[in-house]
Amino acid sequence: MNQSALNLPRLVLQDIWHHKWVVLLSIVVMINAVAVVYTSHVSRKLTSQWDQLLQQQDHLDIEWRNLLLEEQSQSEHSRVTRIATKDLNMSRPLPKEEVVIRAN
Amino acid sequence: MSRQAKRKQNPELIPWRLYVVVGFVLLLFVSLIARAAYIQIIEPDKLRHESDMRTLRTTSNQVQRGLITDRNGDMLAVSVPVRAVWADPKHAHDQKAFVDMRRWQALADVLQEPVDKLVNKVKRDPKKRFVYLKRQVTPAVADYIEQLKIGGIYLKSESRRYYPAGEIAAQLIGITNIDDVGIEGIENTYNTWLTGTPSKQKVRKSRDGSVVERLDIVQEGESSNDIVLSIDQRIQQLAYRELKRATETFQATSGSVVVIDVLTGEVLAMANTPSYNPNARDNLQSHRMRNRALTDTFEPGSTVKPFVVAAALEAGTVKSDELIPTSPGWMRIGGRQVRDSNNYGDMSLAKILVKSSNVGISKLALSMPVQQLLGTYQSMGLGNYSGINLTGESAGLIHDRRRWSDFERATLSFGYGFTATPLQLARMYATLGSGGVLYPVSILKLKEAPKGQQVLSEQVANDVMQMLVGVTEAGGTATKAHIDGYPIAGKTGTSRKAVAGGYGDDYVAIFAGVAPVHNPRLAISVVINEPKGDKYYGGDVAGPAFAKVMSGALQMLNVEPISKREAIQMASAPRSAE
Repeated sequence: MNQSALNLPRLVLQDIWHHKWVVLLSIVVMINAVAVVYTSHVSRKLTSQWDQLLQQQDHLDIEWRNLLLEEQSQSEHSRVTRIATKDLNMSRPLPKEEVVIRAN
Repeated sequence: MSRQAKRKQNPELIPWRLYVVVGFVLLLFVSLIARAAYIQIIEPDKLRHESDMRTLRTTSNQVQRGLITDRNGDMLAVSVPVRAVWADPKHAHDQKAFVDMRRWQALADVLQEPVDKLVNKVKRDPKKRFVYLKRQVTPAVADYIEQLKIGGIYLKSESRRYYPAGEIAAQLIGITNIDDVGIEGIENTYNTWLTGTPSKQKVRKSRDGSVVERLDIVQEGESSNDIVLSIDQRIQQLAYRELKRATETFQATSGSVVVIDVLTGEVLAMANTPSYNPNARDNLQSHRMRNRALTDTFEPGSTVKPFVVAAALEAGTVKSDELIPTSPGWMRIGGRQVRDSNNYGDMSLAKILVKSSNVGISKLALSMPVQQLLGTYQSMGLGNYSGINLTGESAGLIHDRRRWSDFERATLSFGYGFTATPLQLARMYATLGSGGVLYPVSILKLKEAPKGQQVLSEQVANDVMQMLVGVTEAGGTATKAHIDGYPIAGKTGTSRKAVAGGYGDDYVAIFAGVAPVHNPRLAISVVINEPKGDKYYGGDVAGPAFAKVMSGALQMLNVEPISKREAIQMASAPRSAE
């Protein structure tokens, strides 16, 4: 009795060694649980990021549409023609004035 | 060691104390476990519900209506997201929103409406749950309103349609109503294709409002589709400008122009006057919104004469080098008179077309069975839908009956007694240009030319084309439609408008044709309705507009003009057949 009482730590270690698989598995379970928490946190962060990107995409789409309208109104053919003829003194050659240059 | 010693010294244990303490501790644990089990296993729904109430949201993404572009990618209709301002009067009353009137004043200012009217809208009926205050406000204004934080005032996403081309293609593109539903033109015909449905999804949001989990999709959305039209915006713009100028110069009631690609049957331009601005729709007049180029019919007059010649050549009742006697410049058919402006004597087929001789063409018509003539007209698309598939298209009217008097047969040959649309007329000339192949008309850009139908023999089509060259040259009826560099095969038409009980004093001036003759690319019809003033002949009224549109369009398409020498060679070729 005395001997065994003296070696309590050893006894505990022996016992642990005896149930090593159970102990190992419970440690794995603990790690697993923490990993689950961690991944779900990461996934939430990614989802939130994804959502932000989607919103950004929407904003860019709106901007694109407005820019498209602006481009269209700036490059409107009658406006270009007006600027070319009035401001830049250009004129379109008549078909009879055209000179055709052939490559061959 | 000393503890053991103490225990040994104090052996008196009071068991009930221990039991009480152990009992209490056990009870504590059991009740804790029971509570945990109750929450986790037996009744988890309530708390779950509470959590969901705080975190679950349904988001919907707005789908913009599809774009409409021309064949080169120029935008013809673009949707831009805007917001609608609406109020929940009950919320407004509950949240005592009317206490701070400064906010309402600011709201009224930014919406540009009198503040009394605005407040009254919300105040009047506190039981109401929904009222629009203003629709289609810009995102900047919407942000401002959001920051005013007036109780019961909310914003809703919607979209506004812009038409960069404005009045140039207004009738063709059509418009949408305020709820983004197409009600006219392309917008109407292809409404389902252009419209998308928003998808709705359940998401879990964190405290700061960002989405942390995407759950099931509540409603599967459908993205909208774009449309690429066959229209070439450059040509469309040119066509509209010239048409508008002609309509104004001759004070006409209305006008239409159609440009068709001879090789594929695609519509490159389709413009009408009077037009309207689809971006400012406060005072829309329905007569301005009609796409007259395919809804309005008229009697085509002399413009169909080339097809009478084609029918006669096809039937073999006349040879291409035959001379038709038209002396003395008028003839009597069944008690009615058909007359020319001059006595032209014996005429070649080309000269009949160049001078637009009613007598000559009537003789050709009487030389063949009436079914042959009607059959030719119908096979070229008259009295039938063109395949363009747009709302409101008219098929025109062409009688299909057994008995025709001789005079009626003669009138058929110079374009009376049946009706056509400007689109049908352009298509007929396109058929001449394509060597007698009739293509279905398409308003959508095609990947490849559709399968056409040979309705005239190639020989006949080419012969008639050559005969028509003289129309726009010296001595023809439409010298104003002449273009240096691009020989035209075209024909004028001036038809009186029918009124109840006969023909009135109003005219329709028409010019239709294809060019260039040696390598046909475009068919154009210009129809000017009811020109007022001294000039009303097709060659004077519609001819110049035709020439401008045709030469400009051919230049834009990089069609090579022919030199003077080639032009002389070409012009002399048909003459030798005379």
